[in-house]
Amino acid sequence: MAENRLNTVDLDSELSQKSPEEIIEYALDTFDNIAISFSGAEDVVLIDMAHKINPDKVQVFSLDTGRLHAETYRFIEKVREHYGIEIDVVFPDSNAVNQLVREKGLFSFYKDDHKECCSIRKIGPLRRKLLTVDAWITGQRRDQSPGTRTSIPAIQDDKAFARPDDSLTKFNPLANWSSQQVWEYIRSNNVPYNELHDQGYVSIGCEPCTRPTGPGQHEREGRWWWEEATQKECGLHAVNIKQ
Amino acid sequence: MKITLVKKIKQDGSLCKKCEEVQQKMEAAGQMAFIDEVLIADERDPSSPGMELASLYQVERAPFFVVERDGQPAEIHTVYFKFVKEVLNQKTQEKDELKEILNDNPDLDFI
Ligand code: SF4
Repeated sequence: MAENRLNTVDLDSELSQKSPEEIIEYALDTFDNIAISFSGAEDVVLIDMAHKINPDKVQVFSLDTGRLHAETYRFIEKVREHYGIEIDVVFPDSNAVNQLVREKGLFSFYKDDHKECCSIRKIGPLRRKLLTVDAWITGQRRDQSPGTRTSIPAIQDDKAFARPDDSLTKFNPLANWSSQQVWEYIRSNNVPYNELHDQGYVSIGCEPCTRPTGPGQHEREGRWWWEEATQKECGLHAVNIKQ
Repeated sequence: MKITLVKKIKQDGSLCKKCEEVQQKMEAAGQMAFIDEVLIADERDPSSPGMELASLYQVERAPFFVVERDGQPAEIHTVYFKFVKEVLNQKTQEKDELKEILNDNPDLDFI
């Protein structure tokens, strides 16, 4: 139980000034039951950093949607062996997938949008996994989304996935890093990476929903490219209203 | 217990999409009967009652619910299904819960 709720708002202004390694160190020092979410892409840098900071405390999980590239499965295995760590590969609820596929086929996301399939294949297992930890670490970065209002804090109180009457803390150590900084780290530290990156893939997700991007294209354009790039606007934007 | 629902009016004068969806769901499920007050957070007017409440409780999402119980600090709920489960003690569909989480957190696309 994470009885000691952190003041994540104050901590964020402090941690946002720190390096990813310092944020990870803080996270590992603060929480015993903490896991790194690994998507099989460039977020491998989190594992590398955490492994250097405290190899005994690296708990990693990956969401296997059942639709990943063969290259990604190979890469997950490579990472497991390279760092000598356990990777908890979590799967979607088979009944929910079965129902979706029976009713809408294997490619429903091309007709509807990716939300239904992603919520069954990714969010469901993610939630199940997060119910078992007090904190988690993601590779989310601000520059992954073209939206100008995107705010990815270094630390946040994760209300969506918290157990009832409990808290869950989410760390995004790479929030302020650019894709280029991530790649500089990978190269200079000889970190293993997914072979798809050498084939022009910048952002890597499921096979049917990911494509390589060309020069000048934002990495988001390599994901769900058939959907309109609209921004979800649920926030309350009081700023600039007056003028 | 007093429950206040705060809905958002966007800068173009329309109701925010999620507020509309939540309201429809609540009406269909008869949950509006549990709401004591509905306030509007008008993005064009920072002094509108809903905007003031949002700034008081530092809420950045709409719609949201303020639950006040005697002698206890106000509870803020920004996740509709959690509000339904934890405050109204009613059942929700897992499918709807997961969709709401993804809709509210588009950054999860990169997990
Ligand atoms: S990325 Fe595509 S295949 Fe993977 S879970 Fe989402 S919609 Fe389904």
